[in-house]
Amino acid sequence: MSVVEDRRTIVLDQAPPLARSYAAAARKAAASAVPGLGRSARGAGGQELPPVAHRVGGVRAERSRLARYQRLMGDTLRDSLPSVFVHGLAFPIAMGVLVADDFPLPLLGMVHLANRVEHRRTIGADEALTVTAWAENLRPHFAGTQVDVVAEVSAPGGADGDASAAGAGSDVVWRGVSTYLARGVDAPGAVRPQRPSRPDFDAPMRTGQWRLPADTGREYASILGDWNPIHLSSLSARALGMKRHIAHGMYSAGRALASTAPVAGGYTWSIEFEAPVFLPATVQFAVADAAEAGPGALQFTGFKRGASRPYFSGTVAPR
Amino acid sequence: MTNRYQKLVSAGPAKEVAKRLGLPRPAELRRYRPSEPLVPGPVLVLGSGASAEPVSEQLLAWGLDVYRHQPQGRRLGAVIVAYDDVSHPGDLADAALELGPAVRQLAPSGRVITVSRPARAGDAPAVAAARRGVEGLLRSLARELRGGATGNGILLAEGVGAGAPSALAALRFLLSGRSAYVDGQFLSVGSENGAAPEDWDRPLAGRVAVVTGAARGIGAAIARVLARDGAKIVAVDVPAAGGALTSVANEVRGTALQLDITRADAGHLILEHALERHGGLDIVVHNAGITRDKLLVNMDEARWKSVLAVNIESQLRMNEAFLGAGRDGLRIVSLASTSGIAGNRGQTNYAASKAGVMGMVEASAADFAAIGGGINAVAPGFIETDMTAKVPVPTRAVARLLMPSLMQGGLPVDVAEAIAFLASDAAAGINGETLRVCGQSLIGR
Amino acid sequence: MASSAPSAPQHPTTGARTVRDAVVIGGNRIPFARANGKYADASNQDMLTAALDGLVARFGLQGERIGAVAAGAVLKHSRDFNLVREAVLGTALDPATPAYDVQMACATGMEAIGSLANKIKLGQLDSAIGGGVDTTSDAPIAVSEGLRRVLLEFSRARSGKQRLAALSKFRPKDLAPNAPGTGEPRTGLSMGEHQALTTAAWGITREAQDELALASHQNLAAAYDRHFFDDLITEYRGLSRDNNLRADTTLEKLGTLKPVFGKDLGSKATMTAGNSTPLTDGASAVLLGSEEYARQHDLPMLANFVDFEAGAVDFVHGREGLLMAPAYAVPRLLERNGLTLQDFDFYEIHEAFAGTVLSTLAAWEDEDFCRNKLGLDAALGPIDRSRLNVAGSSLAAGHPFAATGGRIVATLAKLLHEKGSGRGLISVCAAGGQGVVAILEAR
Repeated sequence: MSVVEDRRTIVLDQAPPLARSYAAAARKAAASAVPGLGRSARGAGGQELPPVAHRVGGVRAERSRLARYQRLMGDTLRDSLPSVFVHGLAFPIAMGVLVADDFPLPLLGMVHLANRVEHRRTIGADEALTVTAWAENLRPHFAGTQVDVVAEVSAPGGADGDASAAGAGSDVVWRGVSTYLARGVDAPGAVRPQRPSRPDFDAPMRTGQWRLPADTGREYASILGDWNPIHLSSLSARALGMKRHIAHGMYSAGRALASTAPVAGGYTWSIEFEAPVFLPATVQFAVADAAEAGPGALQFTGFKRGASRPYFSGTVAPR
Repeated sequence: MTNRYQKLVSAGPAKEVAKRLGLPRPAELRRYRPSEPLVPGPVLVLGSGASAEPVSEQLLAWGLDVYRHQPQGRRLGAVIVAYDDVSHPGDLADAALELGPAVRQLAPSGRVITVSRPARAGDAPAVAAARRGVEGLLRSLARELRGGATGNGILLAEGVGAGAPSALAALRFLLSGRSAYVDGQFLSVGSENGAAPEDWDRPLAGRVAVVTGAARGIGAAIARVLARDGAKIVAVDVPAAGGALTSVANEVRGTALQLDITRADAGHLILEHALERHGGLDIVVHNAGITRDKLLVNMDEARWKSVLAVNIESQLRMNEAFLGAGRDGLRIVSLASTSGIAGNRGQTNYAASKAGVMGMVEASAADFAAIGGGINAVAPGFIETDMTAKVPVPTRAVARLLMPSLMQGGLPVDVAEAIAFLASDAAAGINGETLRVCGQSLIGR
Repeated sequence: MASSAPSAPQHPTTGARTVRDAVVIGGNRIPFARANGKYADASNQDMLTAALDGLVARFGLQGERIGAVAAGAVLKHSRDFNLVREAVLGTALDPATPAYDVQMACATGMEAIGSLANKIKLGQLDSAIGGGVDTTSDAPIAVSEGLRRVLLEFSRARSGKQRLAALSKFRPKDLAPNAPGTGEPRTGLSMGEHQALTTAAWGITREAQDELALASHQNLAAAYDRHFFDDLITEYRGLSRDNNLRADTTLEKLGTLKPVFGKDLGSKATMTAGNSTPLTDGASAVLLGSEEYARQHDLPMLANFVDFEAGAVDFVHGREGLLMAPAYAVPRLLERNGLTLQDFDFYEIHEAFAGTVLSTLAAWEDEDFCRNKLGLDAALGPIDRSRLNVAGSSLAAGHPFAATGGRIVATLAKLLHEKGSGRGLISVCAAGGQGVVAILEAR
């Protein structure tokens, strides 16, 4: 799960601004768009991911931004970084990987499927973090092609979990794997697997309810910088072919973690996104013990009353 | 407190206009304030009755200037006429003819007080005629007095001297501002019972007094006056009046007892509260009362029965409880009404209950005397209260201005002062009586 | 500490009997009024002042310096930062009476009274008044979070430029005001929605809830009719009875009401406006004292405040129902006092919802719950339902959050005093998954 030996690390001075990444993605999309279905991963050897990792050092949380984040999620103002906030810090660097010219999948229109995160220890708000991001595990999905984007965040303080060297004198304190789907895109010769049979969704007993106003996406974007148009407004989302704008997946993750993540110490968590949360929305939320996932583990689900599948589900377990 | 009309005609150009038109110009009455002089000037004692001597001595002891002949050039605070020896109508003349010029010198809110004996069935006709003659004289004189001055009398029962505690207490009451709205009345002293208080400004010190209907109007005023006179107050009213009752109880530093007095166990609950919380029960003022006016032809059962139940039946039941408990020295003062004396259109139920109160008081006197206590009633005339504020304006104006000698309605405090007096130990020689506080209204006796 | 004291702290005995008694002398409340009705113009301070003044009048406390007055409100204006002290200053009490605010959601009154009782037991206080008040009619309305932040930043700005920058963050949507809800901040679910989950989980039927509601109305009406409240309530603003009381309600009438909570449960929705408490305005106060204080002041002694216990449950993670904390606190209280659930002559279980009472009772009767959740050897067992809320409870009287504790303590103390012996159990659930339970004993 660490950086493979043959991957070349490109050290950047600073994280590429997300706006520039989105602009680049749009240009790429325009250049390669083929009307209709049956697009393929482009370029020679297109089934290959570029063997590079991007790294940015000296990444720090901005205090006021952290405070706004914690407030948005209904969390307590603390000097430690919430897991999704760390994701937000790493996200521009990961985006830099995805919009690189040799990255084989189109960024715009990619669907966020899941996240698995090891939050190995409490991360202080003042820590200088080094973020390393790369893509791996390009593979077919029943609806296209999926890829994992890995981000490792290391800090000089060392981790109390298993240490994997990501930089000299640093230990990885946070490791996240985000899985994205490029819908309708196939690597040459790839064979899509069968759509797995999905058990009927049996809504759990709710323990909470979120009322998400129409500007939820804009609020999240204004804090963590993810200005993807599909989250901003009905109009901007329709421009990209969506019915309406949707909440950021990581917003849902952040809300879920605000009420389930341990306040101190490390934990691992995962989330799978199964249906878009069109805004505005009322999300029924359920938390329950998940002893099978380890001592103290919790599972959570977000769903709409009467829906056949949940918006998302996930687990949190203390390390 | 004065009404608007009174203010208007008491000052400025309106005063002159009112004077020329002959409109009534009610005087501002002298009302009691602790530590103020008992009377607004020297006291002239007239008449040859045996009472003249002890009365003069007591007046001197109270620190007043006392004259047996009219002093030149001085306004008189009061004139007392000792008529207790008259045995023939002719005996009235001397003092009466001296009284005339004296009245001319009477200060505003001055007092004329006769001391005499009641006519009884066994009296010689001439004696009875003379004694009743005093009453006629006094009542008429009272109507002639102006400027807030009043005329009242003290009737000493056979064998009771003018030095009797209750006679002196009655004298002091009638002289003082406490009797501001008592006019044309006779207070009957029936025995030598009673004792003067240590402090005339706190005659009820150490006493526990229950006042029913204490949340508002006259009841609230009674609670205030009894508290001012030193009593610990148990303020009683129905739960529905609880907020106002709280205010009164807190103002007088007493306790509030929310109780519907028509309950069968009301007397018991009052006793229990007073004894447990204050260690005694010395005074009960049956003030709670309601009106449900309707001409008899239109009277329904609820109106009739509720008025009788609250105004008299509850009192009878509570008195039984108090007598049964044997509270030594318990003094009861009950609220009657001039309507119960003279009758009032639309108030058959109310007048029945209030006349009933007077009957009850007379008939209970012996029982209460047996436990060293007493029971009396006070019959208010037109008193300015929330209740009378509901009377139509013209009726109210007439009632207030034309009927009573004092040409104005009384205030709740006037009724309360009379009650406080009758509730005091000094008044123990007065029993079974009804004292009118009506400004000598035209109705009734 | 004297040097001869043993070094290890010694607990003289178990329970709260080692110190002097804290006595409930009496109580007073204003009638509870349905929101936006009779008390629409009254503030928390107004109502608490009225309740305190009524207590002062009942017990002749004018000019008295009371040891402490502790009360609180759940919904508070920022101007009410010193609500109770301000109220005390408006009463006939000695202005030298100290006062402080307590806040523990719907258990505010219980916590205030219980902690005052402890101080009396310890000899720190001789007399005390505990209570609470709440209004949903005069509830605080806050500016939106956005506008609030703009205004705060504006006020902190030093220069015109900074001020302009602050104002530039203003958005029109910030003009929408925020009214307080009864929703749990961490879950976003209203109390009723939370209880609906618990009610369904315990399989409490609609009929059982309606029967409990009916009994509450009938018991409260009967208590009024026998003048039980004559020395517990003081008329306020023309209201002399709780105006939520429906003496003439029937099971048929209750049965016609549509469910208002748990509608997502479909046909299993059982909670209606009839078996849930309405939003209510009101205030209550209880006079406590040591035995000596009561004797010296010729005051009655209705009951001893024996002991109390708080509980809390984790409802955020779905481990327990929001209002089930008393179910956990009671066994601890029983244990400490060497009692069983059946050792009581009266049970005062606050009727936040009929479902709350019935779920709690069901839990105590449930072997599995008592073993696994409470860690007991066996079920606590059933109670004699004829001893439950015999003078009515919140379903009929209403529930002005912080005022309910004072209502219950005064009511139970009087019930015990009337009976002349025995003890009573109080259970009050509260927002935030909390609850306070207490034991009173007749005097």
